[in-house]
Parts: sequence; C-alpha cells; structure tokens
Amino acid sequence: MSKQPYSVLGLFDSPQQLLDAIPAVKTHARGRLEAYTPYPVHGMDEALGLRKSPVGGMVFVMGLIGALAALGFELWTAGIDYPTLTAGKPYFSWEAFIPILFESMVLFACFTSGLGMLLLLNRLPSFRDPMLRSKSMPRITRDKFALAVESQGRPLDVDALSALLRKAGAQEIEVVEQPEAPGPVSPHFLMRSALTIAVGCIAAGYLTYWGVKLFPVVAPISHMLDQPRLDPQRESNYFQDGFGMRLPVAGTVARGHMPFAVASQEEAARLANPLPRTEETLKRGKQAFSTYCSVCHGILGNGQTSLTAAYGAKPANLVSRQMQDYEDGKIYYVIAKGKNAMPPYAADLSEEERWSVVHYVRVLQRALNAKDTDISKETSK
Amino acid sequence: MKPEAMYSPEGMLPESLKAPPIIVGTVSPGALDDQVLSHIDRKPPLAWFVAFACAATVMLIGFALIGYTIATGIGAWGNNIPTAWGFDIINFVFWVGIGHAGTLISAILLLFRARWRNAISRFAEAMTIFAVMCAGIFPLIHIGRPWLGFWLLPYPNQRGIWPNFRSPLMWDVFAVSTYFGVSLLFWYLGLMPDFASLRDRTKSKFRKFFYALLSLGWLGRASHWRHYERAYLIIAGLATGLVLSVHSVVSFDFAVSLVPGWHMTIFPPYFVAGAIFAGFAMVVIVLVVVRATMKLENLITMYHLEVMNKIILTCSCLMGYSYLLEAFTAWYSMNDFIHHAFMQYVAGTYWWAGWTTITCNILIPQLLWLRWFRRSYAGMILVALSVTVGMWFERFVIIVSSLHQDYLPSSWHIYKPTMVDFGILFGSFGLFFTLVLLFARVLPVIATTEMKMVLPGSQPRHGGGAHE
Amino acid sequence: MNDSKTGKIVAAGAVAGLVGLAATGFLSGWDRFWVNWIQWFLFVLTIGLGCLFLVALEHVVGAKWSVPLRRIPERLSGLTLLMAPVGLLALLSLPVLYPWMHPESLKDPVVGGKAVWLNGWFFAIRVVACIGLWILAYAVFVRGSIRQDNDKDPKFNVRARRFAPLFMVIFGITITIVAFDWISSLEPAWYSDVFGVYVFAGTFLAGLAATTLAVLYLKRCNRLPDIGPSHLYNLGGFMFAFIVFWSYIGFAQYMLIWYANLPEEVFWYKERLDGLWGPLLLGLAVVHFFVPFVILIPRTAKGEPKRLVWIAGLILAAHWLDLYWMIFPILGKGPLFGWPELSFALFFLCAGILWARRAMNRGADMPVGDPFLREGLEFRL
Repeated sequence: MSKQPYSVLGLFDSPQQLLDAIPAVKTHARGRLEAYTPYPVHGMDEALGLRKSPVGGMVFVMGLIGALAALGFELWTAGIDYPTLTAGKPYFSWEAFIPILFESMVLFACFTSGLGMLLLLNRLPSFRDPMLRSKSMPRITRDKFALAVESQGRPLDVDALSALLRKAGAQEIEVVEQPEAPGPVSPHFLMRSALTIAVGCIAAGYLTYWGVKLFPVVAPISHMLDQPRLDPQRESNYFQDGFGMRLPVAGTVARGHMPFAVASQEEAARLANPLPRTEETLKRGKQAFSTYCSVCHGILGNGQTSLTAAYGAKPANLVSRQMQDYEDGKIYYVIAKGKNAMPPYAADLSEEERWSVVHYVRVLQRALNAKDTDISKETSK
Repeated sequence: MKPEAMYSPEGMLPESLKAPPIIVGTVSPGALDDQVLSHIDRKPPLAWFVAFACAATVMLIGFALIGYTIATGIGAWGNNIPTAWGFDIINFVFWVGIGHAGTLISAILLLFRARWRNAISRFAEAMTIFAVMCAGIFPLIHIGRPWLGFWLLPYPNQRGIWPNFRSPLMWDVFAVSTYFGVSLLFWYLGLMPDFASLRDRTKSKFRKFFYALLSLGWLGRASHWRHYERAYLIIAGLATGLVLSVHSVVSFDFAVSLVPGWHMTIFPPYFVAGAIFAGFAMVVIVLVVVRATMKLENLITMYHLEVMNKIILTCSCLMGYSYLLEAFTAWYSMNDFIHHAFMQYVAGTYWWAGWTTITCNILIPQLLWLRWFRRSYAGMILVALSVTVGMWFERFVIIVSSLHQDYLPSSWHIYKPTMVDFGILFGSFGLFFTLVLLFARVLPVIATTEMKMVLPGSQPRHGGGAHE
Repeated sequence: MNDSKTGKIVAAGAVAGLVGLAATGFLSGWDRFWVNWIQWFLFVLTIGLGCLFLVALEHVVGAKWSVPLRRIPERLSGLTLLMAPVGLLALLSLPVLYPWMHPESLKDPVVGGKAVWLNGWFFAIRVVACIGLWILAYAVFVRGSIRQDNDKDPKFNVRARRFAPLFMVIFGITITIVAFDWISSLEPAWYSDVFGVYVFAGTFLAGLAATTLAVLYLKRCNRLPDIGPSHLYNLGGFMFAFIVFWSYIGFAQYMLIWYANLPEEVFWYKERLDGLWGPLLLGLAVVHFFVPFVILIPRTAKGEPKRLVWIAGLILAAHWLDLYWMIFPILGKGPLFGWPELSFALFFLCAGILWARRAMNRGADMPVGDPFLREGLEFRL
C-alpha cells in the first residue's frame, strides 16, 4: 500500500516514560501529537497542550435551564393553565415545586454532561477510526501507553519519526495505515439485505395477523368491569321472569306526587282548585294543554282536530255547555284517571300542571262563549 | 516553625494505626485484566447455576403473583382502610434505600478521591441500578389500574388536567426516574473503557461485535480522556446531590402528611442515613460472596470490608440518634397523637416489629465496635443480614404501625398481609439476585480501567502522589 | 501586616465594645442585652464546637491530607472553653428570655408538661454536663496533640482514634441539647426533631469557615508554606458540600412544616416571616446558600485563596445571621440592629480575634509530632 500512513505510533511501558517522551517528540515532529492510554494519566493534558474541557460550562447552563424549565412548567400547570387548590396551598406554591426543580436540574445537567461529552466533544460513537484496527490497540487497552504522530493529510517521514520515538524511549513502533475507503455496496450484499428485510416483513405480518386472530383484543383486565351486580337493561338469572329491571313495589309514590285517592268522578267534584288564577298559572296551563291535550281536543278545546276522523273515537268538546257546568274537580279527575278512550295523564302531568290545565280550560270556555259585555270589561283591564 | 523529624510511618507505627492493604500483593494492569475479565470468557461454576436457578424461580413466582394481582385487583393484598399502604410501599422504600449505597461509593467517594472505592464501585453501582429496578415495580403495580400508569407523566391530554406537582408522589416519580437514568448513565460511562478492553481481548467475533458496539469506538485518546474525566466527575458531583435528595423525596411522602408518627421533620436525613445503612449491608453481603467465589480477595480486600463495616456502624449510630430524637419528640411535643403513634412502635399491636427494628438496626450492629468482629466474615454477614431485616422492619413499622391506628379510633384496623404480599416481596429479592448473578456473568465486576488508575506506580511521579 | 499596631486597634475596639455592651442592659433593656449575649455566646460556641468536631472527624476517618492543617481547628476549639464562663453567665438570662421559667407558663399544658425537662435546675445541669464533656474532648484531642509535638508518641493517634467515635456520639447529643435548650426553648411550645441536625450543619460550616480563614491568614504570614492548593481545594470542597447540606436541612424543615400547616408548628415560622423578617430570611438564603454555592461551583474557585477568604467570611457572617434570625424574633419587634448589637459585635469579634492570634502563637503551626504529617504534606490531587 503506497498510501500515506495514518500515524506513526510508539509504545511505552509506563506513563512516566510517555510523559518524559512528549517534549522531545513535540519539538521535532511535524504533525499532531496524540497519546493513547488505558486510563487517564495525570499531567497528560498539560504535556500535550490540551485546552480545558468545556463540559463544566455546558453543564452549568443546561442545569440552569433544566431548573428554570421545571419551575416554569410547574408554575404554569398548577397556577395558570388549570389552577387547582391542593391542601389549601396557594397556586404559586414555590416550596412544593422545589423538589422537582432540583431533580430536573440534575437530570438535564447529568445528561448534558454524559451525552455532550460523548456526542459533541468526543464525537463518539465512531467505528471508523483506523486505530481500532491497529495492532497496538489491544496492548493499549491492556497496559501500554502510546504516543502517536498523526499525519492529518500531510506526508509523514516514517523512518525519521520511528527513530525519534525510539530515541525518546518507545519499546515498539507501529505504522498505522489508513483504512480502506468504503467501496460501493456489492450487489450480493444488497440482495441479501433486501431478502432479509422482505422475509422479516412477511413474517411480522403473519405473526400479527395470527396473533390478533387467536387473542382477540380484550380489555386487558376485565375482572373489575365484570362484577356480580345488576346492571340496567340487562337480564338477570335471579328473578323468575328474567328481567333485571323491576317495577317499583305496589303503592310506591314518586317524590313530589301524592297519591290521587279519589274513587270516582262524582267524588272528585268536591275537590277545589288550589291554585290561584294568575298569569303564570295560566301560562303553564296553556303550555301543558298545547302539549298534551290539544292533539285530541283541538287547540281551541272544541274537539275538532285532524285526528278525529282517523282516530275513531270522538274527543269531548271541552267548551260545550255541559263541560262548562262540570266542576273543576271533575275535569281534574278526568285528566288524572282518563275516561273511555282517553288514557290517564297522571304520569305525564304533575298535580300543579293538572290544576293549571283546568284553569286554562275555563279560559277557553269563556273565550269561545264570549258575550259582548266581556269585551268592554276585558279590554279595559 | 518548620516541621522536623518526620519519620517513615510504616515501620514505627503501632499495629492499630496500620490499615490493611487496599490491594494485596502486586498486581500489574495486564494481570488485573486477566484476573477480572477472564470470568466473562469462562463458564461459571456449578454454584452459579444453582444460585441462578433458585433466584430465577423465586423471581418468576413473584412475577406470576404480580400478574395475579393485576388481573384480580389490590384486594389480593392485605391493603385496606386505614392501612392503604402496606408491603407495596414498604418494599419500594426498602429497595430505593438499598440503591443509595452504590451511588455513595461510586460518586461521593470519587469526589473524596478515596482510592479504595475503585475495586467495588462497579459492583455497587450495578446493585444500585438493580435495586432501583426492583423498587420501581412497586409504585406501578400498587396503583390499582397499572395500565393507566402513564397518567403520572405530564403530557398534554384530552382530560385537560395535569398531574399534581405539589404532591410528593409526583416528586417521587421524577426523583426515582432521574436517579435511575443518571445511575444508568454513570454506570455505562464507567463501563465504556472496560468494553474497549473486552473488545480488544475477546477471540469470539460475535462478542467482539457487541463489545465494539457498546464501547462506542473508545480508543483511550488523551484528548478524549480529558472530556471524559471532567464529565464523569461532574456527574459524580450531581449524583451526590441525588443520594441526598432521592431518599429525602421518598421521606417527604410520609413527612408532609398529617399522619401522627409520619410528620416528623427529621425524616429526610433519617431516611438517607437508613438508606446508606441498608445499602451498605447489602453490598457487604454480596461482596463477601463474590470475592470468595470469583477469587478476587486480593482486589476486594479486608480493607474494603472493614471500611464498609465502619460505615455501617456509623449509620447505625445515626439511626440510633434518629430513634432517640423521635422518642424525645414524641414526649416533648406534648401531642397526644404523636405520643400514641410512638407508643405503638414499642408497645402496640406490632411491638414485635418495633423491637425487631431496634434490635437489628441498633443493638446487633454495635458488635462492629469490636475490631475482631468487623474483620470476621461470619460476623459481618451476621450484622449485614440483621441490618437488612431490621431496615425492612423499620419501613414496616413506620408505615403499618402509624397507619393502622391514626386519629379516629373507629377507623383503627389491623393490617394482615397475604401470601401474595409475601410472594411479591420474595420475588423482588429473586429479581435482584438474578440480575446480580447475570451481571457477574456477563460484565466485568471490577472496574478494571479505574483499578489500573490506582495501582501503585500507575501515575507519573511529579503529576500525582498518594490519593487519599 | 503590622502586628502590634493592628493589635492595638483591635484591643481598642474590644474595649469600646465592652463599654457599649455593659451599657446595653441599663439603657436598652435587659432583654435586649441578654438576647445579644445568647446570640454571641452561641455564635462563638458553635465555631469552637465546629472546629472540635472537625478535629474528631479527622481522627475518625484517619484522613492524612488534613494532618498538616489540624493544629488550626485544634487551637480554635479552645473557643469552646472560652465560652464556658460566657455560657454560665448566660444562665442568668433564663428568667428574662425563657418563658418556661415563669410559673404562669406552667398553666399552659403544652409548656407545663415539659417542666420536668425545661426547668432552671435541669437546664443548668445540662449546660454544665455539656461543658464538662467538651472540656474532656479538648483535653484528649488538643492537649494530647500538643503534647505529641514534643514526645512524638504515636500512641496519641491510637488514643484519639479510639475516643473520636465515642466523641461523635457525645457531640451529637450535646449539640442537640444546645439547639433544643438555648434556641428552641425560647419558644417552648414549638418542636421540630431535625432542629439538632440543622444547628449541627451550621456549626460544622462555621468551624470549617473559621478554620479556612485562619489557614489563609497563616499562609499570608508565610507560616504554613507547605500547605498547597490541593489542601485548600479540599477545604473549599468541604465548605461547598456543607453549604448544600445546611440548605437541604433548612429547606426540608421549612417545607415540611409549611406543607402540613399545623398551627402548633407553623407559628414559629410565621413569627420569623412577618414584617421585615421575611426579607431577612430571603437575604439569609442568598448569603448562606446562593452566593457561596454559585461562587464555589467552578473547580478552580474551590482552591483559590482570595475567593476562599471572601466565601469563608461570608459564611461566618451568614451563620451569625442564621442565629440572629432564629433568636431575635422573640423580642417581638422587627429586626433590630442598633448600637447594642454593634457593641456586642465589636467586643466579641475583637476579643475573639485577639484571643485567636494569641492561641495560634502558642506553639507549632502544625502537629509536628504526628507520624502522618509528611504524608499529609505530600498530598496532591
């Protein structure tokens, strides 16, 4: 190989010899000096003229950033973005934020130190250095110390340097060659790689398919979801009819609803309308009437709706003479219990609403049987 | 006044002033490599396989029980109201504590330039990492729905809320994960030059590939060493802060609360002392076995063991001080609840655990005052085992004894651990020792590069001298 | 440094201080007098105890690098003995400053319950016992070391190494008693079990700082020529570490009490945060932690004499401020600093400096009889 060597290297037995050799070699050799030792040797940095490492400064800055970033994040999340009160502490409770601030500072600082040293300053990992393939490297990592003059592109006078190193005390000399330039990738290698990747993908695909098929996606731990209790709208083995949801016991009264204990319409005539006839009552009555009653009895209460013909049954005309003579209680009774084809509306209308509807029916009756005298008195009100 | 008549110490000193040698005999760097790194090439002895089988079995049983717990629910354990924390947190605090000894040896002793640290720092640091791994299991599995454990991390989410950074349990998440990450980084950085040695030594192409990869192409360039040393020292300094802070943050879990017996301001230094105490005991146990089975008695010498025993004794005294202060404060505070909590330690339902703690932590280690005791293997193993048991029971007493009878008598209830609890506890020991055994098999147990730095004659005369 | 002229100025300062000190009781009130007395008693005592602890620590660990420096803390620990009469006189302050001395305080169950511990006689017995134990330790460590200068007997090292661990136990108990008795019982209802550790941290730092100042002073006078940058770096490093330790304990105590927010603990801090005391506490954190910490971070800074002088002085001032912040609030007023405080400062500082100079001149500057002296002098990082 007539290429330029990468470096000329001399092996020494002890660190003292190496340190002593450096000044002699430095003055006479052209090229960059580098020392290789199995462990750090004191005084080496000064002898080689190496500058102080900037790791300390990097760490300080990043540590500070870590601390401030953590503090800022904590203050923002706990004080601004979603302020929460914990144990009565103020939102910006710096005392409680210090532990994480400290840990964050240490984390940032340590990883800056380690990774910064490796990646930035030492440019590791690096697997291309020619020294990795040299004969001396195993001896260096074991127990020898080496002083190398690196070419860095310029030609090296191998013989002169070897003589110089020997004179300075080196036991052995090695000329480290430049590595082979990595050639273009061979077609054989390409084919092998492509085949490996293809096979890998196919295998992965099959495994995924069969895996998902054999172990269907389940909630990983369902025991807590799967409890021996009655869920709504589910069957139950406990009851004979198989229903999980049960009707309330006979005689159960819903809150706010007193039971309507009147037996017949005649008895109901005795009941008096407890609500006063206010605008609010009438409005409520109107709304309830329009919602529930006007479908069959008509919006005016006269029993004329589009439903009449199709329905078959004939809804009562609420504004007739007969209905005007009905007592309030009787109308209330019919609303609650129903009559003939009319279903009971007790479940749909509360007591108040029913009495309000009664008021409204009276209004309709008056309105549809208005006399002339009503107008002069009503409009002036 | 000029010093005069300084005489050579070794010849005229009384015996008691002479310390045992840090390295027995002369060891050259090459011989060191052969002695330590050859274990990785050789097949391990039968004892290793037996130990591994036992440890792995126990570990797998523990994992199975963890799986059972996750599938069934925390009801499989003894946790209940009011003792909502039981073996889970006891084990967590116990294992995190054990990790601290490794960092102390690796980091703090590096800052003190203590030469003797280099023979044991690799193993100790590995033990830290394994202990923290064991510890980290428990917070994950005790939360009832472990598959939602990632909610502890502060990421933007559709729930619109953040974790509660004011809670010491969140501080724990950050502290323990930082501790794990930094310890791993520190350990790996120390291993890098050793991987380079292994890369250059090994004959197997397969292993050479992996060692080359793991060593990241380390060459031992002086220009690299300069950055490396600085970074390593800085991480050591920061890790020292972690030794104090991590177990203090763990102690905050208890001390910020209002539970009587937990809210004692002495908890942070008390827990740190206890952690170092338990950790060194574990290191002693493991190292006594390792140095005998791997024939490393000339490198891990009686000096190391004696110094570690002295540290154990110191920590035992610190623990004694803490117990004394707790007892004094239980009276001095004139607070009935703190008083009751303390009386529970010594005369309550779990009085036997309290007295086990005191005996194993304070009384038995006092035997280490006797020089012949701390230099005898049986003696130091006895004390180390006693300390391990005692420190576990101390966590038990702190957690269970305080919780089972706090403010409201109507809430008092006995805590009864279940077999699953015990199984997981032993499983964690199984995991720890499995990892230790694997480490001893696959990685260099002594930091050979660091050892070479402190062999006699390893540094040039005018640059360095005795490192103390 | 012109010795005799400076000596005369310092002596004059001490006399002036003494006059002002004596006048304080009559002109400003006896509580003000005694508060200052306790403050300075504790300040100087903790410096002496810190130095004594440093000596014992060196014997326990068997450190060799510190052997050449050991004579300085040995001499300075004499301050402990010097403070013995000051402490005994301080017993006169009990009726003035300490609430539990008054019979009415026994009515409060929290204070009255402690009467078996907090009463005049037991307190005095404890003070005398502590002083006795410290005198014993001084005799073993310091007198023995000075005697070794002449007889060069290594048996002193054996004795010291045997006694030192026992002294550690004694020290732990006595410093806790000092903290609980003199400082914490000023407010007898308060309790915090880490308080002994907190005062210990400040004590050890004060001892380190005083030792560093003395070492640097002697170096300036060319009296410790063989002490090099490595030794100073270790002193600086220790100060750095214990600044962090003190801050950690101080923060932990504060944060735990703040977090639980129990009235029976919080009131002590509340008194010390109200009004101007809060900014003073912030100032304490700055001078006791932030400034020395940041300045000592760079590696070179830890061994630089000029920087160390300033930092050590700052730490001593911060330690004084620490005691001030704990003790003075019991007067019920804001931070007081008038001519009484100045007089006390003048007297104690000047008298202390005069005493220290005389103590240093009494014998060898290094323990010349110690068998490890040479190894210690050869110590290099």
